[in-house]
Amino acid sequence: MDRNELKMQLKHLLVEGLKLDGVRPESIRDAEPIFVEGLGLDSIDALELVVLVEEKFHVVIPDEEVGKLAFASIDALADYIVRQQPGARV
Amino acid sequence: MVETRNALVTGASRGIGRATALALASAGVRVVINYARSAAEAATTAEAVSAHGVAVEVVQADVADAQAVAKMFEHVKQRWGGIDILVNNAAMTHDAVLMMLSDSGWDEVLATNLRGAFLCCRQAVRSMIAGHWGRIVNVVSPAGFLGQRGAANYAAAKGGLLSMGKSLAREVARYGITVNAVCPGFVETELVANLSSEMRERFLAQIPAERFGTPEEVAAAIAFLVSEGARYITGATLTVDGGLTMI
Repeated sequence: MDRNELKMQLKHLLVEGLKLDGVRPESIRDAEPIFVEGLGLDSIDALELVVLVEEKFHVVIPDEEVGKLAFASIDALADYIVRQQPGARV
Repeated sequence: MVETRNALVTGASRGIGRATALALASAGVRVVINYARSAAEAATTAEAVSAHGVAVEVVQADVADAQAVAKMFEHVKQRWGGIDILVNNAAMTHDAVLMMLSDSGWDEVLATNLRGAFLCCRQAVRSMIAGHWGRIVNVVSPAGFLGQRGAANYAAAKGGLLSMGKSLAREVARYGITVNAVCPGFVETELVANLSSEMRERFLAQIPAERFGTPEEVAAAIAFLVSEGARYITGATLTVDGGLTMI
């Protein structure tokens, strides 16, 4: 999967998984913070996103430290997924 | 229950845990029996659960050990998928007045009774969130509300367990997950059986129902809280104590 495709998938996951009605996936910026400032999601929303990302991309986001880094932005999330999947090169 | 759910009961080899495993099995729920040390009693419980015609797994794990807990959940995931119902029942005591309480006496009780429940909750909520359904019941104690002489460690752990559960209840309610507590008073378990007759009389005098409870009576409350009908109850404490506390 190419990196842009991965990022687009993540944006769709964000919008569909969290039922962000009225947000177009393509309008989410790659470098924008996903939580607090960016899309205005609070940490309880994050729970389901963590589970969705883990299931779809077979990665583990074990705790808050890792979570904060991984969910800093769509870019950061894509980086995290690529690093966690051995053999994946995007 | 409409569909088959998977339950994990910690400390299920005897007492309230055992009765809970049986009550869930009779409701058609598959049960994982966790125990730390009592292998033979866990096997007996498993046999009794099987008699209800539901699948059963027996898993040894010290709930205070994060790695052991992770392994237990992984094992269940491989066999049955995620846990839908978690009953945090595993508990221990190490009584001493606070001034004389050792570091290890404090640490081990907090580790089993509070950290253990935290570790199990953290594992369980992931699959519950994914499935948008879950039930967690923490077994607490009047000591957690009222304090108890000679059991500051136990009381602190149970009070902590209660408020941890309420916090988690707030976090996951939107995902169809409820987190409640059951608060048994004096129940006919080994703990009560070992009391001196003088102590028994003293405790009995405080109970309006004029008798100790049974593990089955506590299990019935737990079975209700994990049922479909209890879906709108969360952050609650169901007291099962014959009127002892009325809190």
